[in-house]
Amino acid sequence: MTLEAAKLAAANNLWGAILPELMLAGVALLLLALEIFLPRRQHAVLPDLASAGILGTLLGLCLNWDSGMLGAETFGGLLYHSTSGQLLRAFFLIAAFLTCVIARLTLARQKMPRVEFYHLLLIVTAAMMLLAQTNHLLMLFVTVETLTIALYVMVAYHRTSPASLEAGLKYVLMGALSSGLLLFGITLLYGVAGNPSLAGHAARPFHYADLAAFLTANPNHFLASLGIVLVLAGVAFKIGAFPFQIWVPDVYQGAPTPVTAFLAVASKAAGFAVLLGLCGPGAVFSAYAWLTTPVLTAMAAASLLFGNLAALTQHNVKRLLGLSGVSHAGFLLLGVVAAGATPMALGAIYFYLFAYLLAAFAVFGVMAHVAGPDDADQELDHYAGLAKESPFLAGVLTVGLGSLAGIPPLAGFMGKLFIFLAAFQAGARALLAVAIVGVVISIYYYFGWLRAAYFETWTPPADAAAGPTRPARTPVGLLAGVTLGALALASIVIGFYPGPLGHWLAMR
Amino acid sequence: MGELTFNLLAWFTLLSAAGVVINRNAVNAALCLLLCLTGVAGLFVVLEAYLLAFVLLLVYAGAVVALFLFIVMLLDTSGAPRSLPRRLPLVARVLAGGLVASGVLSFSARARLPVSEAVAAAPGVGGALKPYAYQLFTTYLLPVQVLGFLLLAAMIGVIVLSKKFEGLEDVK
Repeated sequence: MTLEAAKLAAANNLWGAILPELMLAGVALLLLALEIFLPRRQHAVLPDLASAGILGTLLGLCLNWDSGMLGAETFGGLLYHSTSGQLLRAFFLIAAFLTCVIARLTLARQKMPRVEFYHLLLIVTAAMMLLAQTNHLLMLFVTVETLTIALYVMVAYHRTSPASLEAGLKYVLMGALSSGLLLFGITLLYGVAGNPSLAGHAARPFHYADLAAFLTANPNHFLASLGIVLVLAGVAFKIGAFPFQIWVPDVYQGAPTPVTAFLAVASKAAGFAVLLGLCGPGAVFSAYAWLTTPVLTAMAAASLLFGNLAALTQHNVKRLLGLSGVSHAGFLLLGVVAAGATPMALGAIYFYLFAYLLAAFAVFGVMAHVAGPDDADQELDHYAGLAKESPFLAGVLTVGLGSLAGIPPLAGFMGKLFIFLAAFQAGARALLAVAIVGVVISIYYYFGWLRAAYFETWTPPADAAAGPTRPARTPVGLLAGVTLGALALASIVIGFYPGPLGHWLAMR
Repeated sequence: MGELTFNLLAWFTLLSAAGVVINRNAVNAALCLLLCLTGVAGLFVVLEAYLLAFVLLLVYAGAVVALFLFIVMLLDTSGAPRSLPRRLPLVARVLAGGLVASGVLSFSARARLPVSEAVAAAPGVGGALKPYAYQLFTTYLLPVQVLGFLLLAAMIGVIVLSKKFEGLEDVK
């Protein structure tokens, strides 16, 4: 590489294109600096600063939505800026803000450093936002590793709780395995695509467009298909799809509630962003649809059945949500399978993700109010009498769980409907039947939870006199109340009137 | 000559890698890992990727294995009662063996890359330091910066998870 070429490459590094990510990184560093320089009694302002930074970035992103970068590659092809990238950036920012709201409630019950939590959250969010725009396998791996390593720490953050540490260790081991698979797959693809003796070998084998051109020229190469399967396996770990869901229940249970919420929503969406970039319509692996479609179909069907059946027997609500999250991954995979045949599926997937965001954070917000000091111990029984004691929380829980179950007229129902329509158009009838069976099973366990919240079980007078065995509930504060109310309201409004959002998502 | 060197180094690497798994003593396993990495570095030299070979020796053989040895010696596992893993049922053993065998067989039967003049003429990747460094600071500047944040997050994580925090009662 000559000096001239180096200058040319440096000129293509347009840092303005990733201004939102840079802002988040700057706020993250500012938090650490302020923690050192501010006196300790003023530290309470730092979580507010993190939330304000996220909201400010979101506002800036929305104001500059149609920036001149759309449809362009920057950083020498490392990033590609698209409308779906913008959409996912906003998605991750909203998820991070909601995580901040829940984190305030949960961290207030623990004696733990506060500022580092928000610092890590900001770094993970920035990495996810870069991941949503990556156009290069190297960039993909670097961002995935950054967000995973910061998430390892966040999962083990309640370090006085053995459950949290166990969850952290399990997540490290499974995450390392999945990173290994992903890296091995990427290496095979790089090696094959860069081999000069094969037809159509790529000059930049990491680059999505070059790799896609190579794969189109060699549609039946054994090593390339091996690499593709390994990459898919690595991504399946991140989204928690069967058969790579082993870590889900334990990690979801042990991790602090805000981290569980962030894992369930943002980490899953990040996995799907990668999957759509690789297997979506006209994407890198589209020449290998003969391989990816059956693999994804099998994964979707198994995730739908396993997630729903395993969630039936759970009494711990975090495990229940984790396993139901596996089934939600199955619904989204159904959308990815359909996306190969019908372009409408892409909008359906984004709609589903937003509906899932609203519903899941509403439920996790209620969980943060009901949970006691031991964050891993959140049983269905603890919800006894919630409706009588706090009708607001019970109402939010009802809307959230109803939306997750897909009860009309809530947003989750419309999300499932769009996915099912796309699958029907794509002709994936057998998978559609499995998904409908999954919905029916899921209604049973979601409503079991609601039954615990609305109907009191009779306790013998002797036990009743001893007082309730469940932990004390946190009263609803102003910020949490407004946020939860807004989430529930949005689920209802979007469910009744999906027009603008659905239209906008489908028309992108 | 080149093929002989390659074969020797490849067998050396494979045998020492097997040593890592088979050895019951953790210190011996770590030393076998050192030999394995040296073998891989030798393979890189055969492939004319001198920079990669150097980095592998410096970072992995030098730093990472030394770290492993430190931790193994700090933990001192010799006093702990040895727990043998339970034997797998026959079905699982046959199944796992069959899977591994079929994987290796299909890989060695189908995974062949054609060798040609073009391959031999191609310059070794990671061969020289200067173009590598140029690329690191121009084309790949963004991933390098992201990795900086990765290391920062890892460092913060170690501090948060291992340091004793006292007097946090007044923090709301």
